[in-house]
Amino acid sequence: MVLLTDELRARIGETRVYVAPEALSRASIRYYAVAVGDDNALYTDTDAARAAGLLDVMAPPTLLADTNQYLLGERDTDGFAGHSWGLDVPNSRTVRGGNDYIFHRPAHPDDVVTVTWRLIDMAERTTSGGMAMMIVTSRAEFTDQRGEPVLSNTETIIYTELPGAAT
Amino acid sequence: MSAAQISVGDVVPALDRTITLPDMVAYAGATWDWHRLHYDPAYLAQKKLPAPVVDGQLFGALLAEQLQDWLGPAAVLRRLHFRFKNLVFAGETVRCTATVAVVDAVGGGTLVTVTSQVDVLGTQGRIAVAPAGAEVLIRTDLGGAGTVAP
Repeated sequence: MVLLTDELRARIGETRVYVAPEALSRASIRYYAVAVGDDNALYTDTDAARAAGLLDVMAPPTLLADTNQYLLGERDTDGFAGHSWGLDVPNSRTVRGGNDYIFHRPAHPDDVVTVTWRLIDMAERTTSGGMAMMIVTSRAEFTDQRGEPVLSNTETIIYTELPGAAT
Repeated sequence: MSAAQISVGDVVPALDRTITLPDMVAYAGATWDWHRLHYDPAYLAQKKLPAPVVDGQLFGALLAEQLQDWLGPAAVLRRLHFRFKNLVFAGETVRCTATVAVVDAVGGGTLVTVTSQVDVLGTQGRIAVAPAGAEVLIRTDLGGAGTVAP
């Protein structure tokens, strides 16, 4: 069974650009730190942040890559409102492959991010069980209101053929 | 932790965390990610999953926390990468482990490279995340204005 059709392959190179409607904010930073159970003072205490050479509190490094705050999309039937390429891959299911973050600098409450997603690659493999599998690699570049880089997030999503799917 | 105290082969103190459903609801809210996979019993039954699935990106946050706690405020994370091996479910406990692989003198300080892993503890023990790793810059001069902030 072929998952990676010519129609899908033609989409490599597509981009989507999202501009956050507001600054990240101290509240979002504190909410995330509380939610992940990280009590580091750099995320909530301005004095501690300044003592560490920062201009203000910083976001936990992974916040920007995890949040959908910058998006204005509506929830889909799965409840998800984040970035998606909307790839139509019949008889498959998806799992996260992995992430690779490059932190150009810490993010701060006053950052208003622009996020540019690019579909950089799709490749088909066969699993050890002989099932078709497609690896989709995307990269999100986060820049601030001055156009300076803040974070790069390369992520892979894996589509695998459902057992018993028509070949 | 100062850079001079760190050597290749050093073991980073492990970070253990039990991830309950309320923790997952808090994370879903904090990340604006309302995917039903993380809390909705009807959706999970339809997908033949035994329990709410922990958002994998949370493990990235835990790996970052482990390193920042170990290295202190002079440390700035430069890179973090991880691959998912197995799903983790609500109520399970994970352990983050890491070992120093490379220590390099670079402009502005010392770059420490670690290899990391996340395991699920207990009777259903398995690898959650591997391979994984990070690069952290330990700054020599905290007063260097503009070293980490715009």
